[in-house]
Amino acid sequence: MLKIAIYGKGGIGKSTVTSNLAAAFAMQGRKVVQIGCDPKADSTINLLDGHPPVPVMNFIRDYDREPESLEEISRTGFGGVVCIEAGGPTPGLGCAGRGILTTFSLLEELRLFELCKPDVVLYDVLGDVVCGGFAAPIREGYANHVIIVTSGEKMALYAANNICQAVQNFADRGYASVRGIVLNRRNVPAEREKVQAFAVSHATQILADIPRSDDISNCEEHGQTVVQGAPDSPAGLAFRELADTLREDSRNG
Amino acid sequence: MKQTASILSVYAADTSGACSALYELGGMSVIHDASGCNSTYTTHDEPRWYHQDSMVFLTGLTEADAILGNDEKLVGDLVQTAMELRPRFIALCGSPVPMMVGTDYDALAIEVRLKTGIPCFGIHSDGMHSYLHGASQAFLHVCEEFCETSVPRNQNTCNILGLTPLDFSTNGSVQKLRNILERNGFRVIAPLGMDCTLEEVSQMGSASVNLVVSHAGLATAQWFQERFGIPWVAGVPVGTEFSRQVLMSMQSSAQTGKCAVPCAETRHDAAQDAPLVVGEAIFAGSLAAALETETGAPVRILCPLEHDASLLRKTDSTTEDEDEIAALFTTATGVVADPLYRPVCPATVPFHPLPHEAYSGRCYRHLIPDLIGTPIAPLLAAKENVECFVLTK
Repeated sequence: MLKIAIYGKGGIGKSTVTSNLAAAFAMQGRKVVQIGCDPKADSTINLLDGHPPVPVMNFIRDYDREPESLEEISRTGFGGVVCIEAGGPTPGLGCAGRGILTTFSLLEELRLFELCKPDVVLYDVLGDVVCGGFAAPIREGYANHVIIVTSGEKMALYAANNICQAVQNFADRGYASVRGIVLNRRNVPAEREKVQAFAVSHATQILADIPRSDDISNCEEHGQTVVQGAPDSPAGLAFRELADTLREDSRNG
Repeated sequence: MKQTASILSVYAADTSGACSALYELGGMSVIHDASGCNSTYTTHDEPRWYHQDSMVFLTGLTEADAILGNDEKLVGDLVQTAMELRPRFIALCGSPVPMMVGTDYDALAIEVRLKTGIPCFGIHSDGMHSYLHGASQAFLHVCEEFCETSVPRNQNTCNILGLTPLDFSTNGSVQKLRNILERNGFRVIAPLGMDCTLEEVSQMGSASVNLVVSHAGLATAQWFQERFGIPWVAGVPVGTEFSRQVLMSMQSSAQTGKCAVPCAETRHDAAQDAPLVVGEAIFAGSLAAALETETGAPVRILCPLEHDASLLRKTDSTTEDEDEIAALFTTATGVVADPLYRPVCPATVPFHPLPHEAYSGRCYRHLIPDLIGTPIAPLLAAKENVECFVLTK
């Protein structure tokens, strides 16, 4: 099973990358589970025609009980992708990191992996690794690879560096390792060169170069990924090639 | 009010269960928690504390450590202490605050194991589950770590799984349990948890059957079944006739390889006004089965603890809610329970106190009877012999 956690600066396009990757894997005929780990709970919206599932934290808040079945907190989207959102506490209250840990623990109790038998699991994680909860997706038993989404912008690279550092800090713990970088272009000058230099300095590589494209936003307007709405567009092809690259990982064990 | 107990007590927490399960095995149990005092986990819930040494420590977690995620300090303390004391293993047990900040006990255990070369594992206790939850994890970790995989199967041998003083106190019942098994042809390889060494644990894979005497032993029994093909039998040989049924189930399981649950399977569904036994699923179920064989009338149980549905009958109850427990008591023709349940039992319903260390701790320890192989019906006939706390609203 290929298990990947997607990290990156807030607003850099993690959910776009994750859901397009999920759609691309699904087009290969693979069983995919995508788990949104952002309190905004909008990770899977473009796999579901704009109708995301009830987030786990919202379910617990609204019903004053834990969910008893996966059906209560998941929806199946494009290509059969099983979509789950952790959600989060009431804004300004509670603890979002704890919410992710609780969600993961519940999904384990509900035997998500045993019942869905996914080939690929994608964790779409909020911004930086700010506390223990946000490191949960890279713990042993969850993701085995980390992919960092960044542009060539300074603050995006700064966040990417923090994520690399956090992963490095956990080297002795059997956590996931950085698989590579997805360059999500913002069309800043010498963008590829900047990100390539960053990748080299962190002993990693650029896995995909996603062009800045109106195709992506046009598809999202319709609640779709670009892989679904414009699969042969440059952006659609870039995501599908990324899925091909990562598929080799699972073939190679 | 939901999930609120204003009269009833609570069962010992998971951390106590883990420490209790590991107490005699020569390891170092470290509770990652605030405070420098370990009395809650040890003296209150551990009758062996005053006469048997064991390495039980608290980390003295501070607010700053929790907020800042000072895992390095914890790892450093664990490594230094372990290198001085050279325990056989290290168990890192959680508590509420580390749970809230998402401390990764498994990852810390990997680090400590790498740095010390000593087996180390994390126990996911959080103070919000019962002792069974902690003890269950602890037993399983010990077996996964220390059971030799290539031991030959020995006929007529067994292990006892799920033993802690929280369910069996230190009243001699464990020795009597061993005696009754050995008198009936079963050599006990390891009574895991009490009167047991790690050397005995290493040989547990050679048993022909496992006897599970509390829910704390069930996960380990299932692991032995998957890993070694050893069947398990769930029941405590209490009473005379029921003891015989448990032993027959063990002999049958050892031959057929099939598991059995005499604590539920030998009972019949009970009427709504049947007597009620309150407690841990396997122990209470065994008492109910023994009572049924001796009196001829089915008995219900109330298990307000972690359980597996296969250990119960459909007329049994599992509520933890104080109001629901009180309502259930009003329907019974008799209640067998720890004395601390007495205040919610109507005066018109005969109450038969049976102290349970995991519920009332040391309050009634001296009155906990050894029921192994002993007729149970007198328990119902006996008048209240324990001074109970009667609270007034």
